[in-house]
Amino acid sequence: QSKIRWRMQTYAGVALADHVIRPAIESFNKIAGDEMEIELYTADQLVPTGELFRAMQQGTIDAVQSDDDSMASPTEVTVFGGYFPFASRYSLDVPVLFNQYGLNEIWGAEYEKVGVKHISAGSWDPCNFATISPIKSLDDLKGKRVFTFPTAGRFLAQFGVVPVTLPYEDVEVAMQTGELDGVAWSGITEDYTVGWAGPAKYFLTNNISGAWIGHFFANMDRWNEVPERLQELLRVCMDQSHYYRQWWYWGGEARLRVEGTKMELTSIPDEDWDKVETAARTFWDEIAQESETKAKIVSIFRKYNEDMQKAGRPYRYSKA
Amino acid sequence: MTGFMRGYVRTVDGVNYHIGRVMMYGIFVMMGILLWSSISKTFFLPSLWTLEMAQFAMVAYYIMGGPYSIQLGSNVRMDLFYGRWSVQTRAWVDSFTVLFLIFFLGVLLYGGIDSLIYAIQYNERSPTAWRPVLWPIKSVMCLGLFLMILQAVSELFKDIAHIRGEEL
Amino acid sequence: MSYEMIAILMFASMMLMLMTGQRVFGAIGAVAAVAALALWGTGGSVIPFSASMKLMKWYPLLTLPMFIFMGYVLSESRIADDLYKMFHVWMGPVPGGLAIGTIGLMVLISAMNGLSVAGMAIGATIALPELLRRGYDKRMVTGVIQAGSSLGILVPPSVVLVLYAMIARQPVGQLWLAGILPGLLMAGLFILYIYLRCRISPGLGPVLPPEERAGIAFAEKVRLLGAGVLPLVIFATMMVPFVNGWTSLVESSAIGALAALVAAVLKGRMSRTVFETSVRQTLAVSCMFMWIIVAAMAFGAVFDGLGAVKAIESLFTEKLGLDPWMILILMQLSFILMGTFLDDTAMLVIVAPLYIPLVKALGFDLIWYGVLYTITTQIAYMTPPFGYNLFLMKAMAPKEIGLKDIYASIVPFVLVMVLALAIVMAFPQIALWLPHQVYGL
Ligand code: NA
Ligand code: NA
Repeated sequence: QSKIRWRMQTYAGVALADHVIRPAIESFNKIAGDEMEIELYTADQLVPTGELFRAMQQGTIDAVQSDDDSMASPTEVTVFGGYFPFASRYSLDVPVLFNQYGLNEIWGAEYEKVGVKHISAGSWDPCNFATISPIKSLDDLKGKRVFTFPTAGRFLAQFGVVPVTLPYEDVEVAMQTGELDGVAWSGITEDYTVGWAGPAKYFLTNNISGAWIGHFFANMDRWNEVPERLQELLRVCMDQSHYYRQWWYWGGEARLRVEGTKMELTSIPDEDWDKVETAARTFWDEIAQESETKAKIVSIFRKYNEDMQKAGRPYRYSKA
Repeated sequence: MTGFMRGYVRTVDGVNYHIGRVMMYGIFVMMGILLWSSISKTFFLPSLWTLEMAQFAMVAYYIMGGPYSIQLGSNVRMDLFYGRWSVQTRAWVDSFTVLFLIFFLGVLLYGGIDSLIYAIQYNERSPTAWRPVLWPIKSVMCLGLFLMILQAVSELFKDIAHIRGEEL
Repeated sequence: MSYEMIAILMFASMMLMLMTGQRVFGAIGAVAAVAALALWGTGGSVIPFSASMKLMKWYPLLTLPMFIFMGYVLSESRIADDLYKMFHVWMGPVPGGLAIGTIGLMVLISAMNGLSVAGMAIGATIALPELLRRGYDKRMVTGVIQAGSSLGILVPPSVVLVLYAMIARQPVGQLWLAGILPGLLMAGLFILYIYLRCRISPGLGPVLPPEERAGIAFAEKVRLLGAGVLPLVIFATMMVPFVNGWTSLVESSAIGALAALVAAVLKGRMSRTVFETSVRQTLAVSCMFMWIIVAAMAFGAVFDGLGAVKAIESLFTEKLGLDPWMILILMQLSFILMGTFLDDTAMLVIVAPLYIPLVKALGFDLIWYGVLYTITTQIAYMTPPFGYNLFLMKAMAPKEIGLKDIYASIVPFVLVMVLALAIVMAFPQIALWLPHQVYGL
């Protein structure tokens, strides 16, 4: 039997991919040996991110690592994937939501409808602003051209942010050519890793979101062609990649806030922050009205956050 | 046959000429959008739509203007040998190699139609805050690619005529 | 099929297709399309179109039509005439002075424009007839204009460096600054060569006769210096807002195009014909570039997805077992060799993504490499059998200049460019000093 070859494209650029995906793929290839090999391609390398979903659905690309939002998946869950304001706070929230609160089933069903296998979710990123000029109040957001996720852009537009979507790898240069004033995309670990910490000198410690969710997908036919044993290995290696990201981000955020020299940290006042949180709840209500599936997911997020609130420390440290 | 080819060439070249003559002013559309972008950014709030709109304009400009650029002979060729051949030899070689060009354009159009159907089926929007629907620009691209194929076939007919010692 | 086989097969069929003389974009695109259908497997047929969507998102390409338009307005409206006269009267007494002045003219035009086309057009229409009338050697002046115009992509603003910046993920501002001194160095070497050649054989570039020089009043000479102000004004309207962060790169290019248009109107040179030619030629040349980029992007994606990129990487890094400098030199040589056959835009889109990760992995500075890369591209642009200069020169030059002259004329200048390349390779500070000063690195 000949070796199965997959082409996988990630949303991440080269530098980020070295952490968030490459180690897992190398492990997979090592273990799968002569049976299967995944060739990894980074952001926009084979197809532009805008065409990524279609390319996977059709089999041009066999597998994809991305959030739902940036690859514009034509599903009911798209808005929740890239950035859903205040839906989660810690990196463990995502696997709990998917494995214990029923999101896995919803995602699986939604993607099956469009011929795609949803393999695994579990990655999480904080989503902070990194900008060329400092943000010290909500007013400072006005008129800033910021690279962010589509849904984040919709939410942030009410604070005067001008959301811009560009190919991931073009972001650093775009800050230098004046196309962008900053990013609202990642935590400080990613800012340093991919080089955004050069042109963006300021880091806002308030993270307006904590809900970036990374998934693995595959073309349904390709997935079904893979023997069960290798499907299991794929799941295990993908879980390994989520685990890597958990400690990589958790440790990196703290270390770079303390020791990092390229970015100055700023925060915005608590009363400003309350406005953002209130706006987020309104935003959730609006999204919930769009469809039944969306309403269901929003209710899961609400339930989860209430549970976390009630559980108290160390789950949530809020005033209430 | 010659009559058909003559008619085809006259019609296609005519249509593409007129479209190209309109598209060439697209440079001012792009310039206008980008200037508005700088003005709005300096004096008001930056616009959401300018960069993407300029990109759409650029794509329409070069794809729809493509057939006219073929008529103008602006698509360079490597003329190491080609430059030394007689008009007759060039026509012979071109009438074969233009099939490769048509093949490339055909594959482009195939992908374009596929992508357009997807865009219509899912009402695909650009994943930006402006969120424009994508079927209009993809339709323009498909139309332009179709016109490119028509123009390439017209070039083929002209070459065949040359081989026969005629002029269309 | 092995990755190596695919790499060889795709490159070889592309070369073969190019040799047939079919339009470059058709030749490259056809190989990409055939390979995608034959070798990719499921879904390969959508890759070429998805390359065109990638091009749409490549926002710096918007500068391309802007700079092309700007170049045509500057050359068609002949607002560079005064500039040329300025060099003419000031440089006349020097052996080969008019040719030296032409290089000076080319440097100024380079500062107003991001491509080589404008310099070529202005040089061929204004300087060339004048130089021939003055008894300059036709081969030398043909070479002067081709070499001089190639500076357009090294002296900022430069479209090639913008595209390089996108591929290498390096800051455009630093790259542009890094191009300035090597650009001036190269101009200086051209001038030195012309001066020495004309000292040895004065017949190649006769000194302006004294009686003609006497006919020009000193006041007139000073007035002509004013012509040098215009390019500075256009350069400043474009660059000052950009450097200060008021406008973005693509916005600045639109401002530059507008500035050139306004300058031509104010000087009363924007006739109907000039307008029509500029607009039409901008479409023609933009289409030429864009279609080649689409084809090259499709080729690149297929080439990459079929594993051929890995084959080339492992060839350089593992199989050959060379030290970094040898690899770098080898890469530059292969670049120059490919550049003789390939068009420079296609080279950028196909070859640069192969080489840049290697250069980075070898530990070299990517800003510095951007300059080396651009000089190599200039050489590629100049060398037969394939180069835009050859087409443009043939189209624009007077009848007495044949293809043979055009080919022969570039030899000494290409050697000078190789020398410049070697100097910048040996002394990276020539490129890096200025960006380090300005950005305080
Ligand atoms: Na320039
Ligand atoms: Na060449």
